[in-house]
Amino acid sequence: MTITRRIFVSSLAMATALSVSFAAHAQDKGLIAIITPSHDNPFFKAEAVGAEKRAQELGYETLVLVHDDDPNKQSEMYDTAIARGANAIILDNAGADATVAPVQRAKDAGIPSFLIDREIKESGIAVSQIVSNNYQGAQLGAEKFVELMGEEGNYVELLGRESDTNAGIRSSGYHDVIDQYPDLNMVAQQSANWSQTEAYGKMESILQANPDIKGVISGNDTMAMGAWAALEAAGRTDVIVVGFDGSNDVRDSIKAGGIKATVLQPAYRQAQLAVEQADQYLTSGSTGQDEKQLMDCVLIDETNADKLETFALSE
Amino acid sequence: MRDVFHLSAFCLVAAIAVTGCKIVPDPDPTEIGSASVGQTDEARMEAFAQENWEARVLPVIQENLVPLDELRAALAENTDAAGEKFGLRPKGEANPWNFAVSGQGKIIEAKLDSRAAKLGVDTTGDGAADVTVQLGPVIRGTALRDAMPFIDFTDFRDQIEFAKLATALNGMAHASTPKPEGDVIGQDLRFEGVFTLRDPAMIELVPVMLEIGG
Repeated sequence: MTITRRIFVSSLAMATALSVSFAAHAQDKGLIAIITPSHDNPFFKAEAVGAEKRAQELGYETLVLVHDDDPNKQSEMYDTAIARGANAIILDNAGADATVAPVQRAKDAGIPSFLIDREIKESGIAVSQIVSNNYQGAQLGAEKFVELMGEEGNYVELLGRESDTNAGIRSSGYHDVIDQYPDLNMVAQQSANWSQTEAYGKMESILQANPDIKGVISGNDTMAMGAWAALEAAGRTDVIVVGFDGSNDVRDSIKAGGIKATVLQPAYRQAQLAVEQADQYLTSGSTGQDEKQLMDCVLIDETNADKLETFALSE
Repeated sequence: MRDVFHLSAFCLVAAIAVTGCKIVPDPDPTEIGSASVGQTDEARMEAFAQENWEARVLPVIQENLVPLDELRAALAENTDAAGEKFGLRPKGEANPWNFAVSGQGKIIEAKLDSRAAKLGVDTTGDGAADVTVQLGPVIRGTALRDAMPFIDFTDFRDQIEFAKLATALNGMAHASTPKPEGDVIGQDLRFEGVFTLRDPAMIELVPVMLEIGG
């Protein structure tokens, strides 16, 4: 007992000492800007929180900004970060093409960018691009969807924002699996631009035109939530819905017997990893990694939903 | 990867020289196979897979080939150590190991009438299938792509192009292995191929060599 207590006390003392030393270093290590899409989507919030926490642990001040998927706004935020003399920028970007210019501008100003979640269409400008293995994840989601559908029936696909590479790659991962089953028939395929409210509206009208649908596969969780709400309102809780992201909202829906499955992107860890690579780059001049890095996704269903919390799976 | 750029650039120059005054749009120098301007991702990646199959892909597999029994023993002891010793994977965390293996066993399951045809092989002699040999034409996963040290995601435009490359390499595996016919259950199978380690008890192999008989 005494020993346990002593260890506890000494580790507490050490933790205190560590946090003091972080605070002392905070001024020295400089500023990290964290720019993401709107925190209305918990996925982006988890990224921002994960990055901010890790940056502060490593002794940086942070500047958290939101670009709302507007490339112009993103460009202004890059200028803000540059003007504020940020040492590094962590970015979940507002478009694969439109983002190339601001990242280049920061690079020219000596500020390295570390991208998470979404790629840009050029390499050699950002220092790191760490993205979920969306293709692998989409195939996992599609395999589960096919199994839930019993390999047959009419289904709907909700697509993400067209300017985002992730919308295309997930759709192609879904179809590379689903299209192998001739009895699965896609009756509608529409973009709801990653948005919950848009998905609700689209789902309502799709359902009116196609009352005989059996399943909905969605490019992300917020659209899956919107679709599920519309299905519930129409009394169609028999429809199988599968999402993508691994949000707490969808986790709760799975546990309550609503949405059937989703695919977890390790968003929280990904954001932390980007900050760690930024720190390593700033202190040693190299991340020791390739620029573009993929992180595998994990299928979430009723068997493991319990272990999911804020885009991370506990062991 | 860089020598591929140079080679393609050279081909492009040669093509212009041969055809005389033809207006050719500037290729994007950062794109793989830039000589093939205007092609779809799919066609470009198929060409890349074809160009590299015998010259680079098969040699990597031969150099890293480990007998399945030996690999199993090493994995049972320590996954990471086995990965470091025999495995291939891209840099960065959260990338699973890929292994090039050789082995043999008895075919105890066969699904040949599918776009995703496969054989279930018992390699341990316990009567249960422990290796799934993917025959295709639809082959799952990215084991072949991710096992190649000369293939770096950074050299590709985006995940879409990179996914097409995995599909194209799987297509080469399908095209270069024989399609078993008739009743193959109970026959012996020798195989070489690549798999991504997810569950050591159930290996999903992408074969590059198959020999049935005996």
